[in-house]
Amino acid sequence: MSQKTLINGPITQEMISSCLAALAGNTDSGGHSVFIGQVRADVKGAKRVKAIEYSAYENMVEAEAGKIKGLILSEYNDVQSMDILHSRGVVMAGEASLFVLVSAGHRRHAIDACSKAIEMIKASLPVWKKEIFEDSSTGWKENSLA
Amino acid sequence: MEIQVLFFGVLAEVTQTAFKHYKGVTSFADLKMRIGDDFPEIAHYNFRIAVNNELINEDPVLKNGDEIAYMPPFAGG
Repeated sequence: MSQKTLINGPITQEMISSCLAALAGNTDSGGHSVFIGQVRADVKGAKRVKAIEYSAYENMVEAEAGKIKGLILSEYNDVQSMDILHSRGVVMAGEASLFVLVSAGHRRHAIDACSKAIEMIKASLPVWKKEIFEDSSTGWKENSLA
Repeated sequence: MEIQVLFFGVLAEVTQTAFKHYKGVTSFADLKMRIGDDFPEIAHYNFRIAVNNELINEDPVLKNGDEIAYMPPFAGG
């Protein structure tokens, strides 16, 4: 729970495996819900996204991530732990930039809490993304509702 | 008062700086006016302001050493 939220570069398989491994042996949990967000190679006109460069207000990201965890744990009393990892810096298309893991006594709380946490992350984490296209041009991107 | 002002996302790009230190600030209104004079281009962008990691909805009373962040709409995830 004390792990930092911001990760330099992509979120790797090893980081994800490490978070999952930490739950092994927890006999109070009945389910873990995982969300992995990754960079999509969107096509805009004649240009294709090759990477996203994330920037962040680090102190506020950590403060807001702490608030999200606190709210989720208080709203879903069956939730026992959660991890949030978010990339900072360049993440190539196909690489992961967001990882959310919620562990709960029962599946419904794990799934619902994970879904809610993702919406809160989108709304309140001070993170910005600049798309880098294959021709090396760039453009700032705002979140859609999808 | 001395106030540290941070710019993020597209605002850091258009101001060509990630931060600027202001001295002799008398109030939030005074600070906003000075920032507007230094970086008039930011008026063309949507942004929210945080004081010491907290978003504000009305003009705050500043104190020496506060950190102000100018932030465009969030785009995490």
